[in-house]
Amino acid sequence: MKWDFSFIWTAFLDLLPALPTTLYITAVSVSCGFVIGLIVTLSRMYKVPVLSQIGTAYVTFVRGTPMLTHLLIVYIGLSMLLDHLSDKFGWSFNSVSIPMIGFAYIAFSITAGAYLAEVIRSGLLAVNKGQLEAAYSVGMTTFQALRRIVFPQAFAAALPNLSNSLIGMLHGSTLAFTVSVVDINAKAQIVASTNWKFPEAYLAAALLFWGLTVLIERGTALLEKRINVYNRGGVA
Amino acid sequence: MGTPFDIAYVYEYFLKLLPFIRISLLIVFGSIVVGMGVGLLVALPRLYKVPVLQRFSQVYASFFRGTPILIQLFLIYYLLPELLKLVSIDVTKVPVLIFVILAYGLHSGAYFSEGIRAAVSAVDRGQVEAAYAVGMTGYQAFTRIVFPQALAISIPILANLIIATLKDTSLAFTLGVMELTGKAQTLFTVSRHMLESYLALAIVYFILSFFLEKMFNFAERRLLKHEAPIAKEDKVPMGRKWLNRTLDPDIALSKGGAGV
Amino acid sequence: MIHLKRITKSFGRNEVLKGIDLTIRKGEVVAIVGPSGSGKTTLLRCINYLEKPSDGEISIDEFSVHFKKPHKKDIHALRQKSAMVFQQYNLFRHKTALENVMEGLVVVQKIPKEEARKRSVELLEKVGLGDKLDSYPSQLSGGQQQRVGIARALALNPEVILFDEPTSALDPELVGEVLGVIRKIAKEGITMIIVTHEMAFAQDVANHVVFMEGGVIVEEGPPNVIFNVPKEERTKQFLARYTSESAYSI
Repeated sequence: MKWDFSFIWTAFLDLLPALPTTLYITAVSVSCGFVIGLIVTLSRMYKVPVLSQIGTAYVTFVRGTPMLTHLLIVYIGLSMLLDHLSDKFGWSFNSVSIPMIGFAYIAFSITAGAYLAEVIRSGLLAVNKGQLEAAYSVGMTTFQALRRIVFPQAFAAALPNLSNSLIGMLHGSTLAFTVSVVDINAKAQIVASTNWKFPEAYLAAALLFWGLTVLIERGTALLEKRINVYNRGGVA
Repeated sequence: MGTPFDIAYVYEYFLKLLPFIRISLLIVFGSIVVGMGVGLLVALPRLYKVPVLQRFSQVYASFFRGTPILIQLFLIYYLLPELLKLVSIDVTKVPVLIFVILAYGLHSGAYFSEGIRAAVSAVDRGQVEAAYAVGMTGYQAFTRIVFPQALAISIPILANLIIATLKDTSLAFTLGVMELTGKAQTLFTVSRHMLESYLALAIVYFILSFFLEKMFNFAERRLLKHEAPIAKEDKVPMGRKWLNRTLDPDIALSKGGAGV
Repeated sequence: MIHLKRITKSFGRNEVLKGIDLTIRKGEVVAIVGPSGSGKTTLLRCINYLEKPSDGEISIDEFSVHFKKPHKKDIHALRQKSAMVFQQYNLFRHKTALENVMEGLVVVQKIPKEEARKRSVELLEKVGLGDKLDSYPSQLSGGQQQRVGIARALALNPEVILFDEPTSALDPELVGEVLGVIRKIAKEGITMIIVTHEMAFAQDVANHVVFMEGGVIVEEGPPNVIFNVPKEERTKQFLARYTSESAYSI
C-alpha cells in the first residue's frame, strides 16, 4: 500500500457531511444530560426522599460502567419494552418508529447526566458557604440567593469540568456506529473501506475531532477569562 | 429483537464472562505501564521547560486528549504498521492485542503526563525551599520531598485513569480482541438473549470499577496519613463516601481546558 | 564573621536590593526591620540563595561566593552553612516532627540514623515538643509547627540561622511561645538574622538592628540607639508610625 497524502484531504471533505450528526448527538446529550444532572444534584443536596437515593444509584452505576453498555442496553431494552407494549395495546408505534439516532440521544443523555451531576455538584460545592449566608443577610430568598449568587459562581467554578464533559461526549459520540448511526467515525469507516485507504481516512477523522476539541478548549478559555473577572485578585 | 427477558440468563452469562476479566485487566495493566512511561517522558520536558521538546510534548498531549480513543485505536492499528514499514520493520505477525495495549497506552500517556504535572505543581513551593534550606541538592529535594507528596496527591488521578481505561477497553472488540465486551457479543448468538448478555456485561464492569475504586481509596488513605482528616462538615453529607471521592479526581485532572 | 558585599537583586526592572553591605559577627543576633516591600525578606532569602541575587558577594569565614556567576557546588555549600526558618513554617508535610528534624541530618549531613534521632529528640525537647515527636505537621498548631521549624534549623548546626518573619503567620496568642524559643536559643551564642515586625522583640533579643527601606540599609546600630535615638529621619518616621499603628491595632 502506498501513502496518499492528498487522500487525507479528500477523506476530510468526505467526512464533513457526517459532522452535523456528531454535533447533534453531542449537543443533545450534553443539554439533556445537564437537565438530568441538575435534577439529580438538587434532589441529593436537598435530600429529597426516594429521588435522591435513585439519583445516587444512577450516578454510581453509570459512572462505573462503560458508555457502550449504556447504549446497547438502552437500544435493546427500550426496543423490547416498546414492542412488548405496542403488541399488548395494539399501538402502531413500536421500536422501528424510533430513528436509530433517537436511541443514541437517549442513551448518551443518560450517560452525560451522571457525569454532569458530579460536575454540577462540585461546582456548587466550590461556592463558599459564606456567600449563601451573605445573600440571606441582605434579605434574599433561597431562590434569589441560588440564582443570583450561588449559580453564577458555581458555573465559573464548574466551567473547566463542563468543558471536559462536552469533549468527553463529543468523543463518546463515536460509539453511535454500534447502532448504525453514521457519524464522523462511521463515515470514516465507510470512506476507508470503499477506497481501501484506512490510515488516511482515520487520520482525517482524527484531525477533524482534534480541531473540534481545540475549538471547545479555546472557547472555554475565552469564556473563563470573561466570567472570572471577579476572581482576578489584586494581590501584588 | 431477541426473546422475552429472562433473568436467569443474566446470571448464566455473568459466569461465562468472568474468565474474560483477565483479558480486559491485561489490557488495562499493559496500557497503564506503557502510559506511565510515556506520561513521564512527555511530562518531564514541560516540567523542566526544555525548549523544543516541551512543544512536542504539548502537541502530543493535545492530540491524544483531543481525539476519541476509538479513532486512535483504528489509527494505530492501521497507521503504525505503515509507518514501521517505512523503516522496514514488519509487524504483520504481531498480535492485535499488542496494538490495542499500545493504543490505550499512548492514549493514557497523554493523561498521565497531565496528571504528573498537576501533582508535581500541587506540591507547595515552600516544600522545595525548605529542602534547599536544609542543604539538599535538587535531586534529593525531588526524590525525598516532592515526589512522595506528589505520589499521594496523584492517587485519585491514577485511580480515575485506571477506571477510565477499564471502561475504554470495552472498545477493544472493534479490533477483534476477545475481551469482556467481545465475549458478551458472542454469548447471545444462539439464545438471542441480548439484553441479558449486556446487563451481565455492565454488572461485571461495575463490580470491577467498584473494587478498583475501593482499593485506591485505601491506598490513598495510607499515603495521606500525614494529612489531617478533612473536617466532616467540609464533606458533603450526600451520597456514599466512596462516591464523593470519585468527584475529586475530575477537579484535579482536567481533561480538556486550558492548563492543569 | 559573615560579610555581605554589594548585594543587588532585581525582579525584571524592579530593583529590590540596591547594593547591600552588611557585616555580622559570630554569635550576633541581627534584627532586620523596615516597612513591607523594603527588601528585607529578599535579602534574607538571598543569603540562602532561595532568591538568586543579581550581583554581589557573600563570605562566611573563609568561604565566599560571588553571585555574578556562582558555582553549583558553592551554592550547595552556602546552603549547608545556613539554615532557614520560614514564615509559613514549610515543614515537610509527609514527615513527622521528628522526621522533619532528622531529614537534613540523615540525607544531607549523612549522620547515622540513631545519632540523628538522638539529637533531634533532644532539640524537640528543647523547643518544648518532646511529646509531639510522631505528630505530622497537619496535627500541630502553627506555633508548634514553627517550633519544629526552629528545631530543624538548629539541628543542622549551621553558621547562621535565618528567620523570615517567623511569627507573622501565627495567631496572636501563639506568638509568645515561638518568640520564647527564639529568645532562648539567642542566648546560646548562635548567629541569627531575624526579619521581623515585632519591634519589642527585636529590641529585646537583638544585639544589632538594621533598618531597611527601599532596598537600602538606612541605618544600623545597637537596639537602644536605633529604637530610642535614631539618627535618620526615615527611621524616626517608620518607628513612630509603627508604634502608633500597633497601639491602635487590636
